[in-house]
Amino acid sequence: MELVEVAVIGAGPAGLAASIEAAKAGAEVVLIDENNRPGGQLFKQIHKFFGSKSHMAGIRGINIATKLLEDCEKFGVKTLLNTVAFGLFEENRIGLANKDKKSILRAKRIILATGASENVLNFPGWTLPGVMGAGALQTMMNVNRVLPGKRILMIGSGNVGLIVSYQALQAGAKVVAIVEAAPQIGGYGVHAAKIRRAGVPILISHTVKKVFGNDCVEGAVIVRLDKKWKPILGSEKKIKVDVVCLSVGLNPLTELAWMAGCKFVYIPALGGHIPIHNWNMESSKKDLYVAGDLTGVEEASTALEEGKLAGLAVAESLGYLKREKASKRKAEIREQLIALRAGPFGELRRKLKEPFMQGDEIRK
Amino acid sequence: MNKGLKFTGVISEEELKRCPGYPSEERFKKGPVAVIECIQEIPCNPCEAACPFGAIEIGEPITNLPVLDEKKCRGCGVCISSCPGLAIFTVDMSYSKTEAVVSFPFEYLPLPKIGEKVKAVNREGRIVTVGRILKIKNSLKNDHTPIISLAIPKKWAAEVRSIVIPQNKKERK
Amino acid sequence: MKDKDIIICRCEEVTLGEIEKAIAEGATTLAEVKRRTRAGMGLCQGRTCSKVIAKLISKYTGQPLKDILPSTFRPPVRVVKLKILGGEESCFLEKQK
Repeated sequence: MELVEVAVIGAGPAGLAASIEAAKAGAEVVLIDENNRPGGQLFKQIHKFFGSKSHMAGIRGINIATKLLEDCEKFGVKTLLNTVAFGLFEENRIGLANKDKKSILRAKRIILATGASENVLNFPGWTLPGVMGAGALQTMMNVNRVLPGKRILMIGSGNVGLIVSYQALQAGAKVVAIVEAAPQIGGYGVHAAKIRRAGVPILISHTVKKVFGNDCVEGAVIVRLDKKWKPILGSEKKIKVDVVCLSVGLNPLTELAWMAGCKFVYIPALGGHIPIHNWNMESSKKDLYVAGDLTGVEEASTALEEGKLAGLAVAESLGYLKREKASKRKAEIREQLIALRAGPFGELRRKLKEPFMQGDEIRK
Repeated sequence: MNKGLKFTGVISEEELKRCPGYPSEERFKKGPVAVIECIQEIPCNPCEAACPFGAIEIGEPITNLPVLDEKKCRGCGVCISSCPGLAIFTVDMSYSKTEAVVSFPFEYLPLPKIGEKVKAVNREGRIVTVGRILKIKNSLKNDHTPIISLAIPKKWAAEVRSIVIPQNKKERK
Repeated sequence: MKDKDIIICRCEEVTLGEIEKAIAEGATTLAEVKRRTRAGMGLCQGRTCSKVIAKLISKYTGQPLKDILPSTFRPPVRVVKLKILGGEESCFLEKQK
């Protein structure tokens, strides 16, 4: 068995930020990710981020990822790629496996930053090739440089749906329409505005009724919804598309936190069951910290700040940071987080997290 | 049907009137000016720091809407590519007797050529007129957000916000 | 295609009809639906379908969603070959200092 001070599971924005903060303070950090390169979703984010300068606003996600990887290198974070964490066991043991070996790693502190997976919609034809999650479309287009279709129907107008639609346009596809079941657009108006300018209709109070095709998607039937979200008979419209892309929310990836025995709370607006944590991002289990989408689905920018909090708290608890210094830095980051959670889009998330995001005393 | 950005993705006239980043009619007449079509309180402020003349103010909290000081603004357009939401434009009503110039961010390839006649679209993506490409700014500082300056008949200056994207060129007339 | 033929768990190809039948026969938790139908037992371990099944259970039994917990997670939570899981333990980190 191997022993390290800090193990971070998941190398997306939260995991990277946590690793950097902990390593910067002097802790020995191992960062584990199942993919062949770290960065999580950031490498698919070719758009400029919102926020303020300290949130790296105005910088494209892909460039933020590059900067974070440089920092990991600089502060000596050890990265294990192509490695899955298949289980959490007693005494902070993590089961790791790669293509041909396994290892049990014991860590003084564990930070879970496993992110989230995509929700699906089950309509007739949803298993046809050509129906895919927005993340899959992004991976194909922005990472593997493959455009899976020429005419795309996007389901869902949250920021993910709007941004991925925009990226599909940039990749040369036609986005035939965006349908949104709610009576209003879910994501930022500026994202919606830029795809409207490109000629894409956004149909609110609409959903997909079915997708058809022989071996793959050949078309879809969309339908208008009434005030009670019930389909209006006779409003069906057949459209010719070869890709139907689902962006209907995310689901926190919490398996390891359940396995560890964390206490959970159910908050639908944050994606479902999420592990309770304090301002240190420490879960109900000692030595186990959580950060990013698995603590409630938000934005990459909030995941970065949460990651920093977890990294600092871990470094403090290991004695690498004095209480005073750590408190000051954590207070700054809390301010940044609160700034990101302000306004009509973020306020709800702030209020939902507030009840348990309380003290930041380090547990002895 | 409800109007407005939240329902259509298109900012409505009323919303523009209330928008603190939208210049006055008098200011438009005086020459190039920034048009900041940002009406939702999202946490974002890069435009504030981007302006070399201090003409954009957001302050704290960063969810405040950007306020344009139209006296300070010179319409240089540096703010255009700084906006992650691609919501800033410049409009120059003083370009010529008949034409105005609208500058907008355009992140699609291939880029049009200087001098090319292109179909200009409004906020709904509908073609409203034909314009002439005057300038394309695409320096390192733009970070892959080229800024296109397009000459169009004056009467469309309040509406035109982009050109037809490459894949839509053939299909629509 | 009838609604009941819509696939809910694509890993194990379990349909809406089969899940509704399991609930009608008394399954009230995700684990019980899983044991009756195999929904959630496939490669993705319910990552795709469990939220949908939870909603179905809630709809037919009246339980609030907050009380419908995921079925117990056991290692391996990710796909790992048995050969590796049962094999020797190795070191992933280079020895240092």
